[in-house]
Amino acid sequence: MLRQPLSRALALTSPTRAAPLAARRFAEQVQARPDNVEVFIDDQPVYVPPGTTVLQAAAQVGVEIPRFCYHERLAVAGNCRMCLVEVEKSPKPVAACAMPVMKGMRVKTNSDLTRKAREGVMEFLLVNHPLDCPICDQGGECDLQDQSMAFGSDKSRFTDIHFSGKRAVEDKDVGPLIKTIMTRCIHCTRCIRFASEVAGVDDFGTTGRGTDMQVGTYVEKMFLSELSGNIIDLCPVGALTSKPYSFAARPWETRRIDSVDVLDPLGSNIVVATRTNEVLRILPRTNEEINEEWLADKSRFACDGLKRQRLVTPMMADSRGNLTPCEWEDAIVAAARALRDCPPDKLVAVSGDLADAESLVALKDLLNKLGSENTCTEQYFPLEGSGIDFRSSYLLNTKIANVEEADFVLLIGTNVRFEAPLLNARIRKAFIHKETDVALVGPKVDLTYDYMHVGDSASIVKDLATGTSAHEVLKRLESAKRPVVILGADQLKTQEGSALLAYTQELALRLQDKLQDKNWKVLNVLQRTASQVAALDIGYKPGVGKVLEAGPKVVYLLGADAGVVTRESLPKDAVVIYQGHHGDVGAQAADIVLPGAAYTEKRATYVNAEGRAQQTLVAVTPPGKAREDWKIIRALSEVVGERLPYDNLDEVRTRMSEISPALVSYGDVQDNNYFAQARALAQSLQKPVSGKLDVQLKTLEDYFMTDSISRASPTMAKCVQAVLKQKQSPY
Amino acid sequence: MSLRLGGALRELRIHLCQTSKQSEGVREFIKNNYVNIKKENPNFPILIRECSGVQPRVWARYEHGVECCQDLNDLTPDQVMDVLKRLAQ
Repeated sequence: MLRQPLSRALALTSPTRAAPLAARRFAEQVQARPDNVEVFIDDQPVYVPPGTTVLQAAAQVGVEIPRFCYHERLAVAGNCRMCLVEVEKSPKPVAACAMPVMKGMRVKTNSDLTRKAREGVMEFLLVNHPLDCPICDQGGECDLQDQSMAFGSDKSRFTDIHFSGKRAVEDKDVGPLIKTIMTRCIHCTRCIRFASEVAGVDDFGTTGRGTDMQVGTYVEKMFLSELSGNIIDLCPVGALTSKPYSFAARPWETRRIDSVDVLDPLGSNIVVATRTNEVLRILPRTNEEINEEWLADKSRFACDGLKRQRLVTPMMADSRGNLTPCEWEDAIVAAARALRDCPPDKLVAVSGDLADAESLVALKDLLNKLGSENTCTEQYFPLEGSGIDFRSSYLLNTKIANVEEADFVLLIGTNVRFEAPLLNARIRKAFIHKETDVALVGPKVDLTYDYMHVGDSASIVKDLATGTSAHEVLKRLESAKRPVVILGADQLKTQEGSALLAYTQELALRLQDKLQDKNWKVLNVLQRTASQVAALDIGYKPGVGKVLEAGPKVVYLLGADAGVVTRESLPKDAVVIYQGHHGDVGAQAADIVLPGAAYTEKRATYVNAEGRAQQTLVAVTPPGKAREDWKIIRALSEVVGERLPYDNLDEVRTRMSEISPALVSYGDVQDNNYFAQARALAQSLQKPVSGKLDVQLKTLEDYFMTDSISRASPTMAKCVQAVLKQKQSPY
Repeated sequence: MSLRLGGALRELRIHLCQTSKQSEGVREFIKNNYVNIKKENPNFPILIRECSGVQPRVWARYEHGVECCQDLNDLTPDQVMDVLKRLAQ
């Protein structure tokens, strides 16, 4: 089967990665490399492997050749002609992005011919491009602007303005996220290639030829992808810009702060652009190990939810049960009294999706000091067997980037496309470029690539684990050299969760033991939220079922908005304290509300699904009277009379390293072992399973609103509406 | 070699490095003894947290958040067991 969407697509080579990946060795990868060839870029000799393009060779000696259509993560198109360079003994200038090097080739990137070619290409591009830079959102970060300054001509020969006028193209409507001004399009086809190669939604294309050429969807259609925002970054001109950010700011006015996304479990690296204490937009930051240079739409566009539905002042329920604003003092004193008067075994803390490690540590310390052991998370994870003793039981052990190297991926009960969009993009990349095959146990969903659907009953996992399955997948798994098994953490909350986990462990370890490559890890559990891994690292008990049955007196919700703790599930006289940043499900049930900070407003640690600790930085200050979360708990501890022994962030982090040193090794993933021990303990849990696997997020409209920030975001609401409307359309 | 965990003891946290020489005894200890200890003490949290380059240590948390830390540097598996036994008393 031809998986390459473009016939002329060359095999993409992954860019050089950081140390941990480069250090990986695979038995079969030791092969003789062909000799490097010598080429001369502006008379500088450089040795590159055959097949390298002139543009890549030039980049190695630090010569940057201008380009519009070429993008290192997309197939080569070679249609903008901006990268024309002179090659000695070649009659015509050649397109550097598509031309492979040849032995002894002498490339001149700054000769008269090269410069004249660039000027000519530039002139043609500008003839067909409007001069609306002053009202264009790309202004200041526009490749066309920059390159016309650097390589363009100083005058124009365009005179047709009084006759037929400039080329004009009708704008397209591709949904509520992307604004199109198609007259500005220079036909680089990056968006087309991204849509078909990375996003897997083959809706974009070109129609017409020559001056009538148009990029678009042919029929009016929304770009139904969870990665659609990336074509805004890819567009070298202002043809595709962000709709929510349109006419909001110029890039030189904004302050950019490096941070980490928390709206999916991968912890994509982001840049938060702010002005006047307002988050204006979120852009991806390159991290080859996690998100490459992409970002999922929820992470990118849900930032307007940070300005709505915020808790800006402490609140307490009045005599009629309505939450009314009050001072910090009153709220803290009331909360402290509730905590102090509560018998320890009736005191419960529940952490939610977006809680950071600092506040998780502080809250657990406080509860432990008060004599309570009831710190739990909303998401469940089976505690039978080895439970959360080993980190390897609940992490993506293969690591996100290594999924690319896999030759067989088995997904169990997860719609990875919407649970972790960029992990799905990696699997798709492997599927397309490395002939990786994918199988899915669970409901049939659109993963943007073909997969073997094994069925949706849990007993399939049992059959695979015990080796009794007659399905082809078992054979494929057993013959795979680098198999990957990914289990969705959502499946574990049912009665059969522990058995399912036990079978998955059994299956993964049986495969892992037979591998040649002893460093390859097969078992992966894909958590659903950004806070879960940190919470489990710290020793929170997953799941609230048991503690709710015991009838708690005081419940402390740390951003718990998933709705697993409701008023109905608590005794009538229970006091609910909610600490968080959004007025969502949790705050509704609360008697005392303590306003906290969102992820853009605090320096906080989050651990992603592979176990990589990363920190967010303060981009804006928390609104109103809201405070950083760990500080609220620290203040509360003082009033309760159980002072927590840390006064600043450094001291909190020292405490975190006492709990788990991996929490403060920022940027690194630790190797986690002891699979065999977990497997030994899981053996007794292998009970028959009969249920069906189901996933929560099935289609695109389910993806956009999943947590308190995205539920408060008007853009995300528009996306849901637009997707539902598109479903009505005949296309 | 049985080890009863409980009473005032609420949680054990063992920190170790995946590769270093100092942690070797702890690694051996976990490999050989963890399964039995966990079987005897189901549902007792023994959090094993690996991080490269750290000194092997065990943290014991007792009632009311009182913690006690013991160095496990260069100890043999038997000595690690003794340390845990002392902490469990």
